[in-house]
Amino acid sequence: MKDVIAILNDIRPGQDFSGASDFFGQGVLDSLDLIALVSALEARYNMFVDVQEMVPDNFRSLAAIQALLARHGVSL
Amino acid sequence: MNDSTNGNAADIGARRMLLAGDTTLDPLARLLERGAEAPKLRCSAAPYGQVYQILLDGGHPAWTDNPDYLLVWTATHLTLPSVGKLMRFESTTHDNALREAEQFADAVIAAARRVGMVLVPAWALPAHERWIQTLTWRHSLGLANLLARANLVLAEKFAEHPNIVMLDTGYWQASLGRPAYDQRMYAVAKILYSQPLFEKAASEIRAVIRGSLGLGRKVIVCDLDNTLWGGVAGDDGPGAIKLGAPDPLGECFHAFQSALKGLRSRGILLAICSKNDEAFALSVIADHPAMVLRKSDFVAWRINWKDKAENLVALAEELNLGLDSFVFLDDSPQEREQIRQILPQVYTPDLPASPSDLASFVSSLTCFETSTLGQEDRARTDMYQAERGRREARELGGDVESWLRSLEIEVRAAPLRRETLPRAAQLLNKTNQFNLSLRRMDDASFWSWATEPGNTVYVFRVSDRFGDSGLTGLASVSRSGSDARIVDFVMSCRVMGKKVEEALLGYTVAQAHAGGAARVTAPAFEGPRNAPAREFFAAKYSSGDDAAIDSARVSVPSTVRLTEES
Repeated sequence: MKDVIAILNDIRPGQDFSGASDFFGQGVLDSLDLIALVSALEARYNMFVDVQEMVPDNFRSLAAIQALLARHGVSL
Repeated sequence: MNDSTNGNAADIGARRMLLAGDTTLDPLARLLERGAEAPKLRCSAAPYGQVYQILLDGGHPAWTDNPDYLLVWTATHLTLPSVGKLMRFESTTHDNALREAEQFADAVIAAARRVGMVLVPAWALPAHERWIQTLTWRHSLGLANLLARANLVLAEKFAEHPNIVMLDTGYWQASLGRPAYDQRMYAVAKILYSQPLFEKAASEIRAVIRGSLGLGRKVIVCDLDNTLWGGVAGDDGPGAIKLGAPDPLGECFHAFQSALKGLRSRGILLAICSKNDEAFALSVIADHPAMVLRKSDFVAWRINWKDKAENLVALAEELNLGLDSFVFLDDSPQEREQIRQILPQVYTPDLPASPSDLASFVSSLTCFETSTLGQEDRARTDMYQAERGRREARELGGDVESWLRSLEIEVRAAPLRRETLPRAAQLLNKTNQFNLSLRRMDDASFWSWATEPGNTVYVFRVSDRFGDSGLTGLASVSRSGSDARIVDFVMSCRVMGKKVEEALLGYTVAQAHAGGAARVTAPAFEGPRNAPAREFFAAKYSSGDDAAIDSARVSVPSTVRLTEES
């Protein structure tokens, strides 16, 4: 999980990702950040997020990202 | 690649860039803003699909921020309707597409008047997509053929506009080793390119901008053992080092030296910093049959057992260049770490793990970007070598006056012309030490300033019996009534210490008086490194009149022969 937080902080420095429950609703991330996040997660975990998975629901919290990674066989 | 920060950076303020494209470029805007190196970029990506409106209409809201730079990144099939048709095998001709390319070029040229520089990534096809292989290069039929011609149309149209720079997207794609296009992102957000391609683009665009601002590096300092050749010459013996065919490792170091020689030929200075016995190491360089780089390729060296940081500082002093223009290449991680700690201004990259990657590593360095490639660049090493000859003559000869006289220094003054503009702008932007006002301007703005009524720019070529130093001085004067102000006074450090500055100022002030000026001022801007210029002028000011030149303290020295080109 530390790695995921590091990736998020790289995209948006200085945000409190551990404390936020809805990155998009709370304005911590926007839709362009989502694109950067997908790309960074793919590079870090050697996985492929398909187009139908590229929706805010899969990335709105650390738990959601963890669940998505788990579906791709990546356990944190 | 991040080529680290450069000390001149302190002088460089933030710049604004407008991004216009037919797909979403916001990810690129964000990456450009996040760069740690100077200049800071403030980017705004215009809504996609308004390229022509933005290019042709200076009143378009996208121009509100008065950007310094414009990036126009388009996809051929979207911007040139005929290319889209050809891709779908609909009926049209190459000639139609090329006419559209010309229109696009004209629109870019129209917009180029509004900014300092326009960056235009060359049109590219997704490199991984297959087209009909039998036909793709067929003249007037294939897509690869058309794209190449369309790019040449742009390059030819832009040839007369040096502030329009086409960028090498083919290289960006090839360097990734990963897909440059991402269909998912296009489906989700009309983003045509992948994040890795945007990262590459951001890094290269920053390099181009840094190059245009004179923030490029100027010197490569190399270690010898296991850097320029394989093995340790002192231990293994000069005959046993790996260099040249048929040894594969020797081939790699040979290729590395050839790549460095290429940089030297385009004006990057090479120097050596090595823990070795000097006479022995120089004999290897002179005598080893496979050495590509010989003694005459290096402008300076410190081959001794001293600390490398100390040696780099000494080299910087000898060459009269800032450490922030240095790149240091050494195979030893300890030496590199030490330099990074003690001299962070020096760019000290890790070397590739395999010697076979050394040559391409040299080509991947983005810190040597340059906007022009003039005669002075190609001859720079020779000029520094001549300087070494002059120094040695001074060390041998007696008093300074007779030494100066023996140099037979000649200064040729001329008004700035179109042909000398690129070198003059380069001098203006790259000179830190002997620079009165540290004004930085691109070619186009400098020319337009120079041609305003009341403004005059002089350029100076300096030579002596050791060689021609080229265009190494510049002075500009702005007249207003009976007052003349010296706005820029710039001299390359290459010609410092020979009273050339006295001659330049003597000429400039005499010209101002001849033109009717009663009072000549030269206000200095206090920069971090221009003390040499400020101190020179401080001794020329009249007492009691701030920044006004006292004519009695100015003259062309008798050791300099000054001639005038009309």
